[in-house]
Amino acid sequence: MTVIAIVLKELAHRKWSFLLSLLAVVTAVALFVAYFTTAEASQRETARVTRDLGFNLRILPKNTDMDQFWADGFSDQTMPEDTVGRFAKYENVFLVYNHLVASLERKILLQGKAVIVSGLAPAVVAPAQKRQPMGFAIRAGTVLVGFQVAQRLGLAKGGQIELAGEKFAVEQCLAESGTEDDIRVFGLLSDVQRILKLEGLINEIKAIDCLCLTADQDPLKILRAELAKALPETKVIQLRAIADARAKQRRALERYAAFFSPFVLVVCAAWIGVLAMLNVRERKIEIGLLRALGYSSNRIAWLFLAKSAVLGGVGAVLGYAIGSALALNFGPEIFKVTAQAIKPDFGLLAWASVAAPAFAALATFIPAMLAVAQDPAESLRGE
Amino acid sequence: MVRFENVSKVYRTRAGEVRSLDGLNLEVKPCEFIVVRGPSGCGKTTLLLTAGGMLHPTSGEISVGGQALYSLNRRERAVFRAREIGFVFQMFHLVPYLNVIENVLLAGSSACVRPNSKRAHDLVARLGLASRAFHKPAALSTGERQRVAIARALLNQPKLILADEPTGNLDPENAAEVFRHLEDFHRAGGTVIVVTHGTMAEEYADRVLQMRAGSLNGS
Ligand SMILES: Nc1ncnc2c1ncn2[C@@H]1O[C@H](COP(=O)(O)OP(=O)(O)OP(=O)(O)O)[C@@H](O)[C@H]1O
Ligand SMILES: [Mg+2]
Repeated sequence: MTVIAIVLKELAHRKWSFLLSLLAVVTAVALFVAYFTTAEASQRETARVTRDLGFNLRILPKNTDMDQFWADGFSDQTMPEDTVGRFAKYENVFLVYNHLVASLERKILLQGKAVIVSGLAPAVVAPAQKRQPMGFAIRAGTVLVGFQVAQRLGLAKGGQIELAGEKFAVEQCLAESGTEDDIRVFGLLSDVQRILKLEGLINEIKAIDCLCLTADQDPLKILRAELAKALPETKVIQLRAIADARAKQRRALERYAAFFSPFVLVVCAAWIGVLAMLNVRERKIEIGLLRALGYSSNRIAWLFLAKSAVLGGVGAVLGYAIGSALALNFGPEIFKVTAQAIKPDFGLLAWASVAAPAFAALATFIPAMLAVAQDPAESLRGE
Repeated sequence: MVRFENVSKVYRTRAGEVRSLDGLNLEVKPCEFIVVRGPSGCGKTTLLLTAGGMLHPTSGEISVGGQALYSLNRRERAVFRAREIGFVFQMFHLVPYLNVIENVLLAGSSACVRPNSKRAHDLVARLGLASRAFHKPAALSTGERQRVAIARALLNQPKLILADEPTGNLDPENAAEVFRHLEDFHRAGGTVIVVTHGTMAEEYADRVLQMRAGSLNGS
């Protein structure tokens, strides 16, 4: 009989103790699998929520007068349009952005009242992101008109608006935003540069800031230092509230996971270890007998370690199935926006089927050594 | 075949010293059937365990088949035991999750001997257990259990069988059957040392030894 045959027969005989140990492994594996399966969705969800809140990094021309900036809501200075391309090059060097938008804004008079003309370049998207972000893509020759402007001028979709002597088709009248966006007219950056006679220039780059930097204590300081070196013609301000809320959320989640995972591991290891210890005690005589039959210490230790390996293997598969099922069932409830990102991850199965047996073997290592060390004469003498 | 030279086994406990074996001398010739008798606690089990290489004596020399047992290391002793010595215990010590055949085969699975399934089946049949071959120990009578244990002890064709009160839990009929099987082994050239309380063994014995307080008289 091979060691594995003996192990399987013993497992079948002591079903309940096996199922109890199995429960420990399955619990640990299922929790980790569920956590990692939803982790991706959770991270994307955070990004999406902040994107909905708006841009939270504003990169401005260096010589911007901040009093003017806050009074008008935009910088009256300019920087070259290719700054955005140079900024994009630093992706993954000291920042990770979701996307960057270069813009040019100026106040002009339209029928006696001020409107802000905003020229937006197509977003530069982080390589990892791949897809274009949501939001409006503006076609050349068309504009989106803010709520207040549309009301005052009686504009509607399909109408026309004249800006600095050039006619544009109204692509859309925006819903009331309750911000200065209501007196904005959004056009394509190149169109706006042309009518303002500021070709090749922008006055702001908006970005969703990096995911890792905000987890640090003062990301803005680092960012400013780096930007000073890389893009000396810029300065940066951060919309604190948004960034902080996000960083806090992420840190809370990380702290929770950091506390939770070792705790689960220790509890499950102790659980398996205690059951293995009871198993060794129950099999005292059997171990003595195997000694009398000429079994070596190694072979006896193998009986116990192989058993935990079987336990880990079965636990890994079951735990993976249950963890994935949990993630797929409850994940979409929790992460409503990015539910699509929750898919079974077969890489986790591979991981679990290596880690769980190793973990179970480690948890039963001490009982196995005790089994080997015990005095066979002692156990054979008694009942 | 078995030789004890001035063997002592002393347990040092907090309650004091216990001399299980006290300067014991014994010479068992090949193909001898020895019966050892003696009061409880006189060291009979200790004698068998030391003879089987399971228990290191405190002092003295023990050799089996000319091999000094305790000059071997643990691993070598285990191999020697698997090949040369069969144990039979009063409590049978069958493995509860294995059936009759598997329990017998367990003796042939220790890596240093080759498992022999045909011999296991032959032995089980010879001991009158053919119809119970695939039953678990819990489903067997005590007499049947001890016969399984004997089959297990015989599997590797040992030269020596050490039996510790093998009939202690059996009725006279089953006890007689156990002795008949030990006698068969003996006739085929095996050496047997049996520890027993009963008198039944004596008709099979070449020699009966009386043990008292860790040593033997009549050797
Ligand atoms: N681990 C131990 N520690 C201390 N004393 C022990 C130990 N094992 C055995 N003894 C003592 O050694 C002596 C001999 O024990 P042993 O089991 O050999 O007796 P025995 O002749 O087989 O008795 P019985 O007929 O009751 O089985 C006994 O007094 C016993 O109490
Ligand atoms: Mg005894």
